[in-house]
Amino acid sequence: MRLRHTGVAALAASTLVLAACGGGDDEDAEGAAGPGMINFYTDKGAWEPQFLEVSDVSETSLGLGLDFTGYSDAEQYSAFVRQSFRTDEKPDLFTWHTGSELEDLVTEGLLAPTTDIWQGAIDNGDVPEAMREHFTVEGEQYCVPMNAAYWVMYYNKDVFAEYGLTEPTSWAELMTIADTLKAGGVTPFYETNILFSFVWFQTLMAGTDPELYNALGTGEANYTDAGVVAVMEQWQSMLEAGYFGDPGDQTAPQDQLKNGTVAMINFGTFLSGQLNSVDMVSGEDYDFFLIPNVNPDLAQTSLIFETGPMCTALDAANETSALQYAEWWMTEEAQTAWANARGDVSFNPKALVQDQLLAGLNEQSASGDYLLLERYFEATPTPVLTAALDGFSAFVTNPGDPTSILQTIEAEADAYWAEQG
Amino acid sequence: MSAPATAAPTTPSRGSAPPEPRRRRRNTYGWPARGFSVPAVLVVAVLLYLPFLWTTWISFTEYNGLGSPSWVGLDNYRAMFDDPNFATSLRNTLIWVVGSITVPVGLGLLIAVLSHGMRFGGWFRLPFLIPYAISGVAVGVVWRFVLQNGGGLSQALDALGLPGADLRWLSDAPLNTLVMIGASSWQQSGVNALLFVIGLQSIPREPIEAARLDGASGWRMFRHMHWPMLRPLTTVVVGLSLVASLKTFDIVWIMTKGGPGRNAETLAVTMYEETFVNSAYGAGSAVAVFLSVVTFLAAITYLRRQLSPERAV
Repeated sequence: MRLRHTGVAALAASTLVLAACGGGDDEDAEGAAGPGMINFYTDKGAWEPQFLEVSDVSETSLGLGLDFTGYSDAEQYSAFVRQSFRTDEKPDLFTWHTGSELEDLVTEGLLAPTTDIWQGAIDNGDVPEAMREHFTVEGEQYCVPMNAAYWVMYYNKDVFAEYGLTEPTSWAELMTIADTLKAGGVTPFYETNILFSFVWFQTLMAGTDPELYNALGTGEANYTDAGVVAVMEQWQSMLEAGYFGDPGDQTAPQDQLKNGTVAMINFGTFLSGQLNSVDMVSGEDYDFFLIPNVNPDLAQTSLIFETGPMCTALDAANETSALQYAEWWMTEEAQTAWANARGDVSFNPKALVQDQLLAGLNEQSASGDYLLLERYFEATPTPVLTAALDGFSAFVTNPGDPTSILQTIEAEADAYWAEQG
Repeated sequence: MSAPATAAPTTPSRGSAPPEPRRRRRNTYGWPARGFSVPAVLVVAVLLYLPFLWTTWISFTEYNGLGSPSWVGLDNYRAMFDDPNFATSLRNTLIWVVGSITVPVGLGLLIAVLSHGMRFGGWFRLPFLIPYAISGVAVGVVWRFVLQNGGGLSQALDALGLPGADLRWLSDAPLNTLVMIGASSWQQSGVNALLFVIGLQSIPREPIEAARLDGASGWRMFRHMHWPMLRPLTTVVVGLSLVASLKTFDIVWIMTKGGPGRNAETLAVTMYEETFVNSAYGAGSAVAVFLSVVTFLAAITYLRRQLSPERAV
C-alpha cells in the first residue's frame, strides 16, 4: 500500500516537473516581460535609475514600461546582442551604435524599420531632420535616437576665476588660456589613453578641416594625407608643450575637474550628470563653452555630436509594443523626462531641459552658426576605429613622430574600404 | 659458480625485476555501465569538445557574430602571423611564461623552505596565502590603484625620496608586463608555498636523517636531498604555472586593457580583443586555436619530459 502511495507521489511530482519544464510553449505572446512590460537591454547599466524614472512616466501615459537589463561591459553587451539574434529570445528594445554597427544589423535583416515613426516625429518637430541620415540604411530608417550629446569644453569655474580667465571665442584665445594656466602650474586639458584617446584628434581635425574629417569616415580621404599629418603634428606639439594631463591617470574625469587636477575637459554633455554626481553645481562650480575652430576662416563652428540608437529586433516577442515605445520615446514628454533624469541635452528641441546651461546649448546648436559633425567613434568603421584608438592611445602616452601610427590606421582603412567595394 | 643468466629468481626481490604485467580484467558490468556513463560523456562532449570544434571551424571563416560565417580558408591565420600586434602579444606571453615560472614558483619554494620545520611556520605562511582568496579581477583593481601613474607606489617613492617615482609603471612596455607579473606573483606565491610545504612534509624522514648523519645540512641538504625529492610536486606546480601563464587574461585586462597601444597584450587578450571588441570572431578564433595548441603542446612536452621513467628519482 505504502509502495503504491509512493509511486503515485513520484508520478505526480514527475508530472509537475514536466509541466514546469514544458511551460515555455504556452507562454503569453507578450513574452517573458509580460503584458505592459518591454524587455529592454543596454550597455549603460549605470543609467538604470534614469531609465526607470522614464519608465515610470511611460507606464502612466503609455501603459508600457521597461523591464531593464543593464550591462556595464560594452564588449560583453555587444556579444550578447549579436548572439541573441540566433535565438528565439530577441531583444524587444535595445541600445546600439550608429554607423557600421547599425549597418551590420540591417544588412542581416535583423531590425524592425522605423521609417514611419521618423516621418511622424519630424513632421511633429520632435527631432531635427538632419539627424535622420544617421539612422538611415539603404533609404530606410531603423531605430530611434536614445539620446544626444554634444562635445564641448567643460571648465572649473574657480580655477578660471583664480587666473582671471573668461571663455574663449577663438582658438588663439584658448591657447592663451592654456599658456596662462600652465604658467600658473595648472594642467590645462584632460587627456586619457583609454577609449577616449580619439577626442583631441576629433576636435583638431573637425576644427581645422571638417570636410577632411567627414571624408576620413567615408573612406574618401587617407589618414596619410597632408591635412591629417598636420593635425597630428599640431596635437604632438600640444602634448610636448605640456598642455595635457597624464593620460595614464585613471582618476575619473569629473574628479579631476573637481580637484583642479585639470582646468578643462573636452567631453560629451553627459559629463554634466557625472559632475553633478560629485556635487559640482552647474553654472556655479563648472560651466562649458563651445570649442572654437582651429581654422578661423571656416564659416561655421564645428560642433561634434553623438547619438545612440534604441532599436527593435525584427520579430521580437513584443515588436509592436516596442515600436510603440520607440515612437513615444521621441516625444516631448519622454524627452523632457529623459533629459532631466540624465542631466543632459535632448535631441527634441521641444524638451524642457531644466539645466539652463544645457538648455542654452540646445538652442545654440540649432542656430545655424554650427556645423554638426558626427562623433569620431560612430563615424569611423569598427576595424578602423580599433586601429585608431590603439594608435592614438600609444601617441598620447609617448608623443612622437605620428607617421607610423597613421600608416597603421590607413592600412586598416584601406583593407576595410576595399572590402566594401 | 655463477647462476645462469636466464635463471628466474625463485623469490621475489624488491626492485630487482620488473613486476609481471597485470592481466587486464574484463569487468562484468557491460553495457549497463556504459549506459550510466552516457550523461557524463554527453556533458563533456557538449561543453568541451563541441565548443572547441566550433571554434576551430569559425577560425577558418569570416564571421561578425551575425548571419552565417563565410569560409576563408587559412586567411585568418595568415593575417594573424602578419599582424605586428600578434608578435607583441606572443612576446608578452613568453615574458609571462618565464616570469610566472620563475618568480611565484621560486618565491613559493623559498617561503616553504624557510617556514618548513619553523615554529609558527603556519603563521609565517598565512599572509602569503591570503591573496589567493582574492579573485584575479580584484587583484588587478587593487594593483592598478597602486601602479597607475601618480598612484600609491609613485607617491610612496616620492615621499621617501627614492628613485622611480616618475616611472610609468603601466604605460611603458615591457615594464608594464613585468610589474603585472609582480602583481600576479603576489597572489600566486602563497599557494605555491603551500603546495611545496605539502611536498616537504611528505618527504620520508629516514633518508633525511641518514643524510644528516653523513654531515649534510643547509644548502647541501636542500640541493641533494630536499630538491630531488620535491621533484614530483615541482613538476605539478611548474606545470600549473606554465598553463596558467599561457592563458593570462584577467589581470592584464583589468590593469591595462592590453594597452596603451596594445603594448601589454597577451595572446588571451588578443583573442578577446579580436572577438569581442572588433567582432571579428574568425580572427579571434584563430588566436584561440593557436593558443590552445601552444598550451597543449607545452603542457604535454613538459609533462612527458618530467615524468619520463629515465628522469624519475
